[in-house]
Amino acid sequence: MKNNNPKSAVLELRDVVKTYEMGNEQVHALSGVSLDIGENEYVAIMGPSGSGKSTLMNIIGCLDVPTSGSYSLGGEAVANKDESDLAEIRNRMIGFVFQTFNLIPRADILHNVELPLIYGGMAKAERRVRAERALEQVGLADRMKHKPNELSGGQRQRVAIARALVFNPSIILADEPTGNLDSRTGDEIMQMFDDLHTEGQTIILVTHEDHIAAHAHRSIRLRDGKIESDVLSADELLSDSYLGPLPAEYEVGAANVG
Amino acid sequence: MNVILDTRESMKIALSAIIANKARGALTTLGIIIGIVAVTTTMTAFKGMQSSFQQAAGAVGADVVYVSRMPWITMNDFFSFRNRPNLNLEEAYKLEAAFEGRAIVSPNIDTRRDLRFRSKTLDAIPVIGTTEKMPIITNRMPEIGRFLMEFDVRYKKNTVVLGQEVAEDLFGQTSPLNKEINIGAYRFRVAGVLEKQGGSTLGGPNFDRQVFIPISTFVKAFGGRRFMDVDIAVKASKMSDLSELEYEVIGEMRKIRRLKPAEDDNFSINKLDSLLGAFNSVVGAVLAIGLLVTSISLFVGGIGVMNIMFVSVTERTREIGIRKAIGAKRRSILMQFLFESAVICMAGGFIGIAIAAGITAIINKLDLMPASLSPGIMVAAVVISALVGIVAGIVPAYKGARLDPIEALRYE
Repeated sequence: MKNNNPKSAVLELRDVVKTYEMGNEQVHALSGVSLDIGENEYVAIMGPSGSGKSTLMNIIGCLDVPTSGSYSLGGEAVANKDESDLAEIRNRMIGFVFQTFNLIPRADILHNVELPLIYGGMAKAERRVRAERALEQVGLADRMKHKPNELSGGQRQRVAIARALVFNPSIILADEPTGNLDSRTGDEIMQMFDDLHTEGQTIILVTHEDHIAAHAHRSIRLRDGKIESDVLSADELLSDSYLGPLPAEYEVGAANVG
Repeated sequence: MNVILDTRESMKIALSAIIANKARGALTTLGIIIGIVAVTTTMTAFKGMQSSFQQAAGAVGADVVYVSRMPWITMNDFFSFRNRPNLNLEEAYKLEAAFEGRAIVSPNIDTRRDLRFRSKTLDAIPVIGTTEKMPIITNRMPEIGRFLMEFDVRYKKNTVVLGQEVAEDLFGQTSPLNKEINIGAYRFRVAGVLEKQGGSTLGGPNFDRQVFIPISTFVKAFGGRRFMDVDIAVKASKMSDLSELEYEVIGEMRKIRRLKPAEDDNFSINKLDSLLGAFNSVVGAVLAIGLLVTSISLFVGGIGVMNIMFVSVTERTREIGIRKAIGAKRRSILMQFLFESAVICMAGGFIGIAIAAGITAIINKLDLMPASLSPGIMVAAVVISALVGIVAGIVPAYKGARLDPIEALRYE
């Protein structure tokens, strides 16, 4: 199933296979997944539990490496990197947003947002400026000195988004980002992802909820470790960016055929 | 990645983790505190013994050579010296004549006698027969009154100079000067009291519990000729090489005793160095055993820290997962936990030093020995506690650093 997306690919998976040893049995979590995701795409990865979507997310997020097949992120092959290199790639290129927020409980939220920059080796002054800007972007500039447990679920998830954004990653990888939120707060968070996409961010959502996936412009369905379907939403098919400009002679009003 | 940045972050995390678990941190630290107190107090006691000994050894004199029948320190060669002749006063006077103008020679001889002043009696006090030169040789001056004079020796006067402690015990607050005391069966007039020497805590000779009388009087009163065995102190009048003096003394003594070249010396040369050497080897062994025993308590403390670090790593499995997901490398996680255990242990080290300082103050207050907590010991204690922290933390920290981020993130 090849997608003919015209945009330049941020990530490319080719025949990715992932097998786990479970006792004497081999479990195929992914059995041959090929996938391109382009810049500024808004993609939902869906599928029932056991479909391999978590495994695919882990591989895309460089938390895991494929058993076979190739994966390149931002033009760089990832499949055979060691732990330290993978940590660096995660640091620079991927912004994670988790279902359970996953903030460091003892640190204030400014420090939480600064953390990727700290591990990236950025100097203190610049780090501070960037983290503050990211928190402003998610509307939490006035809560910087609060601890995560002093915030509501929606606010915590906004902190997590700020942390994901702060190092200008190539992709934002969100795993059930609204799973622990009530529907109204969930909508707010999804609105935030929509806005980020509009600003040019590449976003990958992993979800099993259709109404969340509906925010994305492309949805990839997995079943039994294979891609079952990969479709663009109607809006996207009709958008300028997908269609691109017509050759001048086909534009309405351009055909001055005498 | 920037190592300094990493360090600062690790430090911050470590501190906040310890603060978050105060009670646990305090209990864990307690083990280290006990260990550090034990080790530093042992070292302090050793230092105290050493300086106490050196203080006492001052009475021997660092630049003095003693001629005696026996060496001060005998190992198992005692029997080979058994048949040596005693040193007698004539030999001492011959040696004095030989060193005329070059060195100060003073014979000494001692025994024990009961002392009595009115109704007060002190049993078996060392009575030392000596000459007026003793203060020059041992640098001990009278605090009140005077020392023995040349005429005391020449005219066999019944004059006595008391050690500080003897004076206190016999006379209390009243002045002993010109009082008459009994030494054995003889009456002596007190001419002076020596200044305090101190440093007698180790069961060694107590230099303040002695009395001094003229050697001539001593011989007349207490010297059954057969039992006379004199020590001769020789101090170079100019500060010359001590070993050179030693060789000259040996040469003169061999001449006085008419020893043939093939014969061994039938006397011994003693000096402070040989005493110090023996002392250091004994106390060094005691220190080594003491440190071995006390480091076991430090070791147990370290095991406590290791245990708590394993708990800490397990508790924060999810946090490790988060940190790894957003880009922490193994090294960063390793550093974080190493810092935590080093900080716990160093805190223990500092508190331990404070407590050891308290104990040292108490020892000094009770006047047990001149103990002091030296900066060297303090620095060593901090370094040792940091090392214990790093050694105790390394396995738990490595375990944390090696966690798989996916599994760590899934950990509840």
